[in-house]
Amino acid sequence: MADADATATERSRKGLFDRLIASRRVRLAALLAPSGGLLAALLLAPLSFMVAVSFARVDSAYEIIWQPSAANYAALFDGTPFWTTPFVQSLSLSVVVATATTVVCLVAAYPVAYALARRERGRRIVVFLVLLPFFTMYLVRVYSWYLLFGDGGVLNDVAAVLGFGPVGAFDFGVPAIVVGLAHAQFPYMLLTLYAGIDAVDFDLVDAARDLGASRIEVFRDVLWPLTLPNVVAGSLFVFVPALGAFVAPQFLSGSTVLMVGQLIAGRVDSYNIASASAAATFVVVFVAVAFAVAVRYADMGVSAGGER
Amino acid sequence: MSSRDDTVNGDDTARGTFDRRSFLAATGTVATSAIAGCVGGGGGSGTPTINIITWEHYARDDVQAAVESAVDVNLEITKSTSSADMFSGWQSGQDEQYDIAVPNNNYVPRFAEAGLVEPAPLDDLTNYPDIYEKFKDFTDGQLAVDGTSYGVPIRFGFYGYGYDSRDVPDHEESWSVLFEGVDGVDLQGKVALYDNHFKAMTAAALHLGFHDAFEGDRVTLSQSQLEDVKAALIDQKKSYLSSYIAGDASFVKGIKKGDFHVGHSGRMNLTNMWVDGNDWVKMATPKEGSMSWFEAAVVSKQSEHPDLAWEVVDEYIAPKTGATLAREGHAPSVNPKTSANLSERRNELYGSIDPSRLDGMIPFKAVENEDAWRSAWEEIKTA
Repeated sequence: MADADATATERSRKGLFDRLIASRRVRLAALLAPSGGLLAALLLAPLSFMVAVSFARVDSAYEIIWQPSAANYAALFDGTPFWTTPFVQSLSLSVVVATATTVVCLVAAYPVAYALARRERGRRIVVFLVLLPFFTMYLVRVYSWYLLFGDGGVLNDVAAVLGFGPVGAFDFGVPAIVVGLAHAQFPYMLLTLYAGIDAVDFDLVDAARDLGASRIEVFRDVLWPLTLPNVVAGSLFVFVPALGAFVAPQFLSGSTVLMVGQLIAGRVDSYNIASASAAATFVVVFVAVAFAVAVRYADMGVSAGGER
Repeated sequence: MSSRDDTVNGDDTARGTFDRRSFLAATGTVATSAIAGCVGGGGGSGTPTINIITWEHYARDDVQAAVESAVDVNLEITKSTSSADMFSGWQSGQDEQYDIAVPNNNYVPRFAEAGLVEPAPLDDLTNYPDIYEKFKDFTDGQLAVDGTSYGVPIRFGFYGYGYDSRDVPDHEESWSVLFEGVDGVDLQGKVALYDNHFKAMTAAALHLGFHDAFEGDRVTLSQSQLEDVKAALIDQKKSYLSSYIAGDASFVKGIKKGDFHVGHSGRMNLTNMWVDGNDWVKMATPKEGSMSWFEAAVVSKQSEHPDLAWEVVDEYIAPKTGATLAREGHAPSVNPKTSANLSERRNELYGSIDPSRLDGMIPFKAVENEDAWRSAWEEIKTA
């Protein structure tokens, strides 16, 4: 009797389990639960705390006073005119540096990605060489650029030996930052572009050439539109980290410029975390809006293969 | 049914097994207890532990051993690199974890005002009477709240600037060198300042002659003085600045690499370079006065051994242990008697200090309206 009860209970449990598994929603939920939990714990929770703190204030004993106010946001633009405030200045500089870094990466990576997609020979070696810097620490890579740039750096020493140094462009400053960031972000752009160009149906390219299109016209009218989603994706992979960078700017500008990542880090260092949170929240919103605009503009629904 | 019931029911095999297991378990427990008693007995038999949060040099083996043998105490030392971190940590409950903290002088009033620390029993400290009079004045002044002193100075240092004597000749030592250069030397783009609003802006204020700003309990710049300081630093950035340096390591790398010939620096930093054989770098002590730091120990109100904690603090300024700390950290002790335990060379570097030299010291102080200073500094950096 007891055995029969146990068997019935087991069957009932199995039936419930089967019904649950049969539900598409439950399967999806089970699949997404771990990553969802991770995102909630590591992204949403700190992000929510950051947003909450951005509306609080910190007293001289470094304690957070929970009196909701938009004063920290107002202070970001508290200047006459508003674009002269350090926050707007540093954000503007960051946008310029991140844009320059993205353009450098795009221009340098597109031909390489095209060659990789078109030619089998040497592909693995090139990809390995591109990924090689990832095997070293980011700080070490930035420090190596630090040794190259600067008035007493290797580049200026070589220029001096060759009789045309020192060169201003080799000093610490924005050009050095762009070089350092482009070096760090280049693989993201290259691999994203390669994935897109590799998926292009090159019969379309050949057909365009057969119909008399020049190489430039083929690039402009065929290749570029088909790889635009990858260009946008690669640009975001480069632009977003470059916008918030603070290690490379710190080293490679000799701290003579203030990008928005440095500004936020400086405010955190001085325990001004409410103000830092307001600045960081604004940057997050700014990036999210830029991302949405970019996706809309590039019509991300169109893949390199031309399928929607 | 439990095994005990089985045994009671007369199962000999079970009883035999039970007994053997019980014996082994009991033996093991006794042995473990005995070992724990022996190991713990050393500590429990009279060597209490004092927990300290402080700078790296205090945790060096020689310094720790000197204190432990002199006071008969175990020290558990946590290294820190920031007085602000020490303070915020104690604010959030670490005052129960640590007996002693050794922040910079300007943080002692914050600890006291937050009710975190004990008054300092200065009369009970045997080595305190020997420290420089200047530091006794600081103890009664800056380290006191409402007339009660809360900290005991340990060691000190001061800021000036270092220069590469191969490129910059001897000159009148003044903060103006960082802002206007030296006659006959092209220092455009060859000067480094600290990437720190307090250090850079106080240097500018002293260069501009705003001595009145340093006279009170806090450094106080009027609005117009703040504007002048900002303008001076922006001008300096456009003409003489090579880079803003994050700390001592950046100074050493930059001046060795040739990125700059003159750089804002603490004396301890240059002492380290001299010890490493870089005699070409020289230290200038500006005539307008030097911003100086000194570390002061405080004892937590939550400490279970406050008297012992103060004994430990007193030992850090004892002639022998103070000399050991000076040797390890290359920074002079507040007790001049330490110089008797240092070699002639070490005394030149960080031992014997002429008391008259201390007169030019302006101790680090809290800043009035620090938010305005920070905003000004961000404006300078983005200019």
